Amino acid sequence: MKSLELQAIPEEVMHCVDQLRAYGREHGIDDKALFGLSLALEECGANIVHHACGGQAHEKFRVSFQRTADAVVIELRDRGPAFDPTSAAARELDDADGERPPGGWGIHLVRHYMDEVHYAREGGENVLRLVKRLQSATT
Amino acid sequence: MPLDIQIKKSLDAARFDAVTVELTGSLDTATAPELERQLAPVLDTPVTDLIFDLAGLEFISSAGLRVFANARKTLKARSGQAAFVNMRPQIQEVFEIIKSLPGVGIFKSFAEMDEYLAARQARHKGGA
Repeated sequence: MKSLELQAIPEEVMHCVDQLRAYGREHGIDDKALFGLSLALEECGANIVHHACGGQAHEKFRVSFQRTADAVVIELRDRGPAFDPTSAAARELDDADGERPPGGWGIHLVRHYMDEVHYAREGGENVLRLVKRLQSATT
Repeated sequence: MPLDIQIKKSLDAARFDAVTVELTGSLDTATAPELERQLAPVLDTPVTDLIFDLAGLEFISSAGLRVFANARKTLKARSGQAAFVNMRPQIQEVFEIIKSLPGVGIFKSFAEMDEYLAARQARHKGGA
């Protein structure tokens, strides 16, 4: 398992995505799965930077990723106000008028590429857990 | 992965006065603001058509799609359009997912360059 503590700025989100790519290649994750995992991590990380941490660079959030026998699991934790992106998405999409880009695009992409997206509020933290099952699992 | 941005006034006669924006690398939460900054002066000119050449684009997220959507909206207001060409399959899939959302009219016309050029040519002849 790889764990990172990150500053709440976009550059750190992408640093984390680079680390995920390196981890994925080391652990035999194919490019297609890795693209989806990278995109999901980018969207969720960007969401934390802009919403949970309110653009405050001194705020920190944590990310871990782990390859299990048949899946890759990404977990993001932040200490921002309680915010469940999985329930906010539908509302934002409803507001779309067809021209104004709604804020729900990101979580929609996450849902598309991940097999499971779980949100929980644990001990003052937002915990987002993303699971991508691997098709040809090897141990 | 950084983003390289090349903005070119097209010399290809078939493309008339369209501006081509070549993107290479990653259009994401960290690099999208830079694209927005570089597009702003282009959109301040009377340009009506932007061609985004995505041959070298390896990654895109919703932050990048928002920049495209905003550019398209600006161009549409002056009867222009944004076209997206040479997309890699993974990038195209991201466009398709967003395009399929209910109520999103934004990337309906992102596809075929031939169709785009034919429409441009017809408009050019009609206006001459």
